[in-house]
Amino acid sequence: MESHAQQLKGHLDALLLAALAGGPRHGYAIKEALREASDGQFELPTGTIYPALHRLEAAGLIDGTWSTVDGRRRRTYQLTARGERRLQADRTTWREFAATVTTLLERPWPATS
Amino acid sequence: MAGHQLIDQHLALLAGRLPGSAVDELADGLTETWHHHLAGLSPTSAADAAIAEFGTPDQIIDAFVTHAPGRRIALRLLASGPIVGVCWAAGLIASRGWTWPLPHAPRIVFGLLLCGVVVALLAATTSRHSYRRTRLGAAGGATLLVLDTAMLTTLSIVTPPLAWPLLPAILASLIRIAWTARSLPAALGR
Repeated sequence: MESHAQQLKGHLDALLLAALAGGPRHGYAIKEALREASDGQFELPTGTIYPALHRLEAAGLIDGTWSTVDGRRRRTYQLTARGERRLQADRTTWREFAATVTTLLERPWPATS
Repeated sequence: MAGHQLIDQHLALLAGRLPGSAVDELADGLTETWHHHLAGLSPTSAADAAIAEFGTPDQIIDAFVTHAPGRRIALRLLASGPIVGVCWAAGLIASRGWTWPLPHAPRIVFGLLLCGVVVALLAATTSRHSYRRTRLGAAGGATLLVLDTAMLTTLSIVTPPLAWPLLPAILASLIRIAWTARSLPAALGR
């Protein structure tokens, strides 16, 4: 869903961190985890996830290590302690934001005179 | 490389425009995507589907350019540059810097290098489709680090006891040196 993909971009960092909360994953596995967890609604071009992962790594939020799988070099990422703290903060911020927007969208607004 | 001619061609396009380590990672991801599609498609159809899912070379390269560490360094240095520049200008004017016993040649070389740094940083920040150009941000940062160090060294050697108007400039340069030295390794490594 393209509109969902656009909305996803604004929250990509938090979602990538969340996808690593369960343990180390490589780029394709992260993308698949996001797709499956969202029932296929959040889908970005896979190749564009890697530079975002590199940026998170440069920021010290995730840590990448190389291994060799089936003759190919594979980079696997995991959350750092700083990344875990950021994820917790992002979750709190999101809950507060979502609660506020839900309240505003669902409250009955009085008619203007 | 990956196992199918179409995928190899896709990776070859990326290899010419991105760092080797990034291409290795992309090769692994694209091959995984291809294997995923092989479950229900012919090898060629699976390769087409994998490439479509992965994104075009331009999409991928543009994403790498947007997040390039050299571009981020250049953006921060350009944003902080005017503040540091004003500190130095104010300090040099207040300290009558033009009276210092410095030959003209080093002053001219310093000025030319500083102009070169600004051009390099601007080139890095305005890059949208060339990862190679974003590397100018790291080169500009490294040169600026040298220039800041040279300026502070010169101050300590050829000037009279430091006047207080120069202290903000010295502090600004020290902060910039520390930040640049910390950020450069990541940018030079990619």
